[in-house]
Amino acid sequence: MTLQPPQPPAPSGIAGCAHLTGEQFGELLARSAGSPEPSDALAEAHLRTCEQCAAELAALRESLALFREASSAYADRQLRLLPQWRIPLRHHGLQPAYFAAAAILLISVIPMQMAHRRSQLPKPVVAAGASAVVAAGDQARTAESDDALLEDVNSEGSASVPTPMQALDNPIVATENAVESGATSNQRKD
Amino acid sequence: MVPENIQTFPSTVLNLGAETRATPLDDLETVVALYQSRVFRFLLATLRDRDAAETLTQETFLRAWTARASFREDCSLPTWLIRIALNLARDHTRTGRFRFWKHISTSAVDVDDVAASVPNREGTAESHLIARQQVALIWETVAELSPRQRTVFVLRFLEEMEIPEIAAVTGLPLGTVKSHLYRALNTVRSRHNAPRKETL
Repeated sequence: MTLQPPQPPAPSGIAGCAHLTGEQFGELLARSAGSPEPSDALAEAHLRTCEQCAAELAALRESLALFREASSAYADRQLRLLPQWRIPLRHHGLQPAYFAAAAILLISVIPMQMAHRRSQLPKPVVAAGASAVVAAGDQARTAESDDALLEDVNSEGSASVPTPMQALDNPIVATENAVESGATSNQRKD
Repeated sequence: MVPENIQTFPSTVLNLGAETRATPLDDLETVVALYQSRVFRFLLATLRDRDAAETLTQETFLRAWTARASFREDCSLPTWLIRIALNLARDHTRTGRFRFWKHISTSAVDVDDVAASVPNREGTAESHLIARQQVALIWETVAELSPRQRTVFVLRFLEEMEIPEIAAVTGLPLGTVKSHLYRALNTVRSRHNAPRKETL
């Protein structure tokens, strides 16, 4: 048996001589089962002979499959914890009904607003017919009552003692009056 | 009676806009039921924050509904939805506000929780533990990838999209998608092999 000289490292990526390159691994991993692209024949041939590359590829495929399964299961679980959405159904027929209701509401509100404003304005003087006479009478009565009220205010304002305090203004006179009124009431009783 | 945990889309938004033609998005309830989990899963893996993923999932469907007239069916509906979700995620992560909230967020994804979701197949406890470690390792590695590499990786290995489909979603040329994917896989592979080399 003759000793073989040590073999120089063979260029990578050649079937049967060296291991697969990173790109070949990438291509093999990225390819799905039903991919229409032709597979790398050299890489496939190498995998049949190199147990190390085949085992590594299988382990990576297994890990990537686990990554997908675990990620999907985790995402599904997280999604179940979140509140559900409710998509409102779109009723095209309801839209005109909404518009009609809004229009009716608007039509009923505008005259009410106008009437309210009109009631707040000073009443116009009606210059014709019986209504004019009635209005003039009302105005005269209002003026009289206003004058009387003003006179009362003036007289109270000019008095030295306010009306509620008048009883205390001269207590002696008030006492005499009270005595007199008491005597009168006794006489009546007799 | 409506349960308390039910949220509603603002009806004003939903009722705006006149339709010119029927689209699959017209039946929004069905579309949400079919694709909500997929969009949420993609956003959760991309943003790694439950609250942000939930908000952007809702936003995705709202955007899709309001822009439904522009859906020309040149791609599938889930592809179109994922494209919207990806754009929203990009906009969201660009802001400094996202980075700030990510630091203090309580809804950030815990890798251990994800790893604990590994299905318990028939096997030994040891094999299950190894599987959990592998999943945690991939999740951690994916977090360290560049945003483009991460997007391409998640679309390929979580959403199981074909490379042309990924190119359609991301708007990148096929060659660029492959390049990002191979780089991402190289990183994952080197991290994946590291524990085995240590044990050897």
